[in-house]
Amino acid sequence: MPDLLPSLSGSVTTIALRDAREQLRDRFLLWATLALIAAAAVSLVTGAIALHGDAATYAAARAQLLALGKGASAIAAPEFYPLKLMRGMIEQIEIMGAVIALVAGYRAAAAERGRQTLALILTRPMPHWAYTLAKIIGGMGLAAVSLAVVFLATAILLPIVSGIGLTMGDALRLVLTWAAGVLYLTALFTLGFGLSLWAKSPASGLIYAFALWILVVLVAPQIGDTMDPDNQVAGGVFAQLSIPKAEQDRIKAGFAGYETFRNGIEVASVTKHFERFTFAVLGIKDTYTGAPLAKVMAEKQGDLLFLFLFSLGLGGLALLRPINPDRLTKES
Amino acid sequence: MTPARLIARQSLSGLTRDRSVLILIAFFAAMVLVTAWLGWSATNTVDAIYVDAATYLAASGQPVPPNPVSQSAPLAVLRNLGVYISLIGAFGSIVIGQLLIETDRRAGTLPLIGARPFERSDLALGKMRAMVTATGAMMAVAAVISVAMLFTIPSLVVRPGDLLRLALFLVAGWAYITIFGFVALGAAARMPATASGLIAATVVWLVVTFVLPELTANVHPTAAINPVSTLATTPDSVFFHLMSRVLGPLSLAEGFAWASGDLLSFLPDGLAPRGPVPPAVALPVALILAGLFAAHSSAKLDLNAGGPDA
Repeated sequence: MPDLLPSLSGSVTTIALRDAREQLRDRFLLWATLALIAAAAVSLVTGAIALHGDAATYAAARAQLLALGKGASAIAAPEFYPLKLMRGMIEQIEIMGAVIALVAGYRAAAAERGRQTLALILTRPMPHWAYTLAKIIGGMGLAAVSLAVVFLATAILLPIVSGIGLTMGDALRLVLTWAAGVLYLTALFTLGFGLSLWAKSPASGLIYAFALWILVVLVAPQIGDTMDPDNQVAGGVFAQLSIPKAEQDRIKAGFAGYETFRNGIEVASVTKHFERFTFAVLGIKDTYTGAPLAKVMAEKQGDLLFLFLFSLGLGGLALLRPINPDRLTKES
Repeated sequence: MTPARLIARQSLSGLTRDRSVLILIAFFAAMVLVTAWLGWSATNTVDAIYVDAATYLAASGQPVPPNPVSQSAPLAVLRNLGVYISLIGAFGSIVIGQLLIETDRRAGTLPLIGARPFERSDLALGKMRAMVTATGAMMAVAAVISVAMLFTIPSLVVRPGDLLRLALFLVAGWAYITIFGFVALGAAARMPATASGLIAATVVWLVVTFVLPELTANVHPTAAINPVSTLATTPDSVFFHLMSRVLGPLSLAEGFAWASGDLLSFLPDGLAPRGPVPPAVALPVALILAGLFAAHSSAKLDLNAGGPDA
């Protein structure tokens, strides 16, 4: 028994490293990272351009008011927090990053089944769960490296497009967001890998994984978002009716049941927890803009915990489910 | 029976035996059912909020604006249908396009088809015929459920003109999802590796749905799948006006969302489509181009590449 653990950890490391080498050799990691960087860059640049447009409009309106001898306090100045520009980028990780993770999971399973090497590996004296663990660790490494490059590129691009340098506090927030992103993508990698390993054919597994992706990543949050009364009217129902904030809260209190149901649909999706945590940490959500990190972490630990438990649960399921010997080849 | 028709029939019978296709169509049908309830529920809530707000405004002596939902047309309760067509419908179509080639390739029947006295154009036409029939069946399911829901919801007065608009919307939806099905069919024909066609077409769909709207109008990915939020005006900047003009005709998801808003009567007043080409032109042109890609790729399909042991 004492000799078993080092031997197992050696096997797990060997398989994980071999996977990483394979992903590097066929340039999947390179293309996946480039695609995410391109999507992130598009989001950052378009967000910055839109913000500059808002700032120019504000400056012109302010100048006009001052020229008329009126005070400029009547119009709200646009907020200028560089991390807020990452909204589109986080959403791209939620959606495109998730697809890349599913495809990476599919490839990790399909490669073994296609080359018939899965049966060969399982003849070695190692438990099935150790093989699955190695694959998940490989996927996690892939997500960590890919997202690290994306966040590094973002950290370089943000000061350029926003004109404001990042502080150490901002860097810490980026690191926390990266860690949450790695957890999220690892969960989706595990989903893609598990389904492609267990399905009759890996391609069927990928189709099921994509269908689940549509349900969990797109449809569940979309239903919650669509049911939000403020999203039913262009510009927001309360803004259109010119209702002050205190009165908005009173009216909303009358729809607590509806709101609980709407929120329940949203929080059934792991994507929404990832979004709520990262939007709070980065200050994208207005109520957390400029808030101390300790306060954000205290209030959003539930979302982080859900993300962690979801990943752990999915990983546990993958580890515990035995590999069916009839599904060791590409076509069964 | 013509060879193209025979191939189409054989392909469709293969599709009906595939569990993943049946699950996707059932999922699509379920979401069409949910659509009408979502629209009805959200509209009722906004209406109730308006009553509360109007009471407050009247009590505080302020003018009461008109109810934002009082002018909405009955078809507006189906506003989420466009989103589910562009998500689940388009993905289902991509899976069908991939399977139309992949099923024969993995079963090893492509070389056998090649040994029959068929022209390559018959193969291409047969596969494309199967594609348009399958996507047509999906939209027929959506049509039956939508009409049933419209007549089930109380207090909704549906006129013949509304049904005509709904029919036009479903035709636009059919064109939209078939575009991606043709892309998947063509990509699967060109790329023999398993699931390559599926992945390539999914990448095209992701770019069209989530990247182009950011470039043309700074519409973030989650806003892009909200039927109201996606109908945003182009931000007033040189960059976005230029990108709208250049990329607007390619931004098919935005074109379809605009057409949905127009046909289902929830388009904000005065909102113009992105770019100089209206969706009524851009969607058919894209369908023709995608069809040409699928036809050319299927006609050039290597019947011996791939196979069960590849």
